[in-house]
Amino acid sequence: MTVYSFYIFDRHAECIYKRRWLPRPTSVGGKPQTQAGLGQTVRAGDDDAKLVFGTVFSLRNMVRKLGGEEDNFVSYTTSQYKLHYYETPTNIKFVMLTDLKSPSMRIALQQIYINLFVEYVVKNPLSPVEHPGGVGVNNELFEGSLEQFVRDQATFR
Amino acid sequence: MAAPRHSAMLSISNNVGTPQSTSSDKTQIAQPQSPAQTPGLRVPSNRKTIYDRHLNRSRNAELSRASFAYLFAEMVTYAQRRVTGIQDLEKRLNEQGYPLGLRLLDLLFYRATSTSSSALSSSSTSSSPPNRPLRILALLHLIHGPLWRLLFQRSADALEHSVSPDTPNEYMITDNDPLVNTYISVPREMSMLNCAAYIAGVIEGVCDGCGFEAKVSAHNQPTEMWPSRTVFLVRFGDTVMEREKVLERQGVK
Amino acid sequence: MSTNKASRIGEEIWKTRVDKVNAELVTLTYGTIVAQLCQDYNSDYQEVNKQLDKMGYNIGMRLIEDFLAKSGVGRCANFRETADMIAKVGFKIFLNVAPTVTNWTSDNNQFSLIFDDNPLADFVELPDDGRAQDELWFSNILCGVLRGSLEMVQVQIEAHFVSDVLRGDDTTEMRVSLVRYIEDEMPPEEE
Repeated sequence: MTVYSFYIFDRHAECIYKRRWLPRPTSVGGKPQTQAGLGQTVRAGDDDAKLVFGTVFSLRNMVRKLGGEEDNFVSYTTSQYKLHYYETPTNIKFVMLTDLKSPSMRIALQQIYINLFVEYVVKNPLSPVEHPGGVGVNNELFEGSLEQFVRDQATFR
Repeated sequence: MAAPRHSAMLSISNNVGTPQSTSSDKTQIAQPQSPAQTPGLRVPSNRKTIYDRHLNRSRNAELSRASFAYLFAEMVTYAQRRVTGIQDLEKRLNEQGYPLGLRLLDLLFYRATSTSSSALSSSSTSSSPPNRPLRILALLHLIHGPLWRLLFQRSADALEHSVSPDTPNEYMITDNDPLVNTYISVPREMSMLNCAAYIAGVIEGVCDGCGFEAKVSAHNQPTEMWPSRTVFLVRFGDTVMEREKVLERQGVK
Repeated sequence: MSTNKASRIGEEIWKTRVDKVNAELVTLTYGTIVAQLCQDYNSDYQEVNKQLDKMGYNIGMRLIEDFLAKSGVGRCANFRETADMIAKVGFKIFLNVAPTVTNWTSDNNQFSLIFDDNPLADFVELPDDGRAQDELWFSNILCGVLRGSLEMVQVQIEAHFVSDVLRGDDTTEMRVSLVRYIEDEMPPEEE
């Protein structure tokens, strides 16, 4: 499987971490470079994070309206990519975009939360309690472990 | 807190007859007030006080490592707000560890005598209850072994003497993976920082409390296998080195 | 979820999923923090209480993530469940104690935590200066921890100590009140 990108949003709806591995393919036949919202040009800026947040936020609220307060969505699939979602009770949202062959990454996202985020960001005394602008999340231990984790996921599946 | 305990500790360090002893700025950490043992404090009717509960009660007790990490994180954050640079930060962490060293020393001796086991064997020269170490090596073994075991449930990883003839007063205690640095990822621009300065302060407190004036600092010495490997550099004062020579001649061990 | 079930969860996590450290290292480290504050604020104990609460708040905001990661529990159904979760799971896995939840108000919005044991206060005697026993709440950091961690799961509370054995009281008791439940934050409006 291939991992395209990964995002963390905090409880203030801010993107506190973003990482891209491979460019996500866009639908053939269209004009990839000009496609608003999904194309490469947009992703060069900050906007893809906002788009992703808007999407998961709306989707999650809709799911709750239909399925009850405890309900949540796990992933959605388009013809081009799969978006995986994990949310903590503290409203931190973990999002990963992969190719279509990918199995469910819910457990993987939960493990990124438990084993990487909590251990290397939350417990790091030199990292602030909250992360405006992403401060503190982008430390060496977290990034290194994330890189390794994603590589392992990609290799063994 | 525990001001009376602390002043008792200081009196121990004053009794050793080493005039060079504790630096004055540090002794002020003791609360200046409170003559020890005055019965001015209210106590609960069930007498849950430090005088009534056994001092070994918490000897084998455990708490969450995360709890320590959070407290330590707040200590670092709080210190960071009041300092100007890395050196200043390390100095402050060191100063916070210092009184802890004085207290732990007392606890170590108390436990060594009360159990009369081999807990302090490295510093005892006979089968009698262990004494306060008189020589540098005995002191360092006390730190490397019993102190480390009390704090971290294992001994330190190495104890070395400086090989340079210019610095015979320097000793190194190595910890391959210091507990206090478990969750710390130091940013590049602060790569000199080692928060184990707190533990360096503890060591300094133990040395001073024993009558060995010393400066102790923590240094990053990473290896591939041990990325947070830390060397605690112990530098004894001139008077300590002079006394060491005298004791050597007298055959004191 | 019943109190007993919460207790079992707490015990289970403490036994199997918590990395441990010598309790005295934690106790004495906390002691040096309080001592440092007393020194920095010239024994202005009101201010020390405030600083401890603030530190606790910061800790709570971090600690809740660890709590959720370890326990895997979801949102509580009501404030009574929250109280049990704090006392039997939270305190258990971070301080290895399980205070008693009691003295509920009839609207179920206020309760007390009674501590039989408080590892933070081991080895402690307050300064005998005629003020500390009336003004200092030695373990005040815990109030902040509750406030910070609950705020992160969108429960706003107020917490304060009402008695402490270190002050000569027979019990150590913290009073916790529900203020309100917090709504989700929305992303800032575009344009």
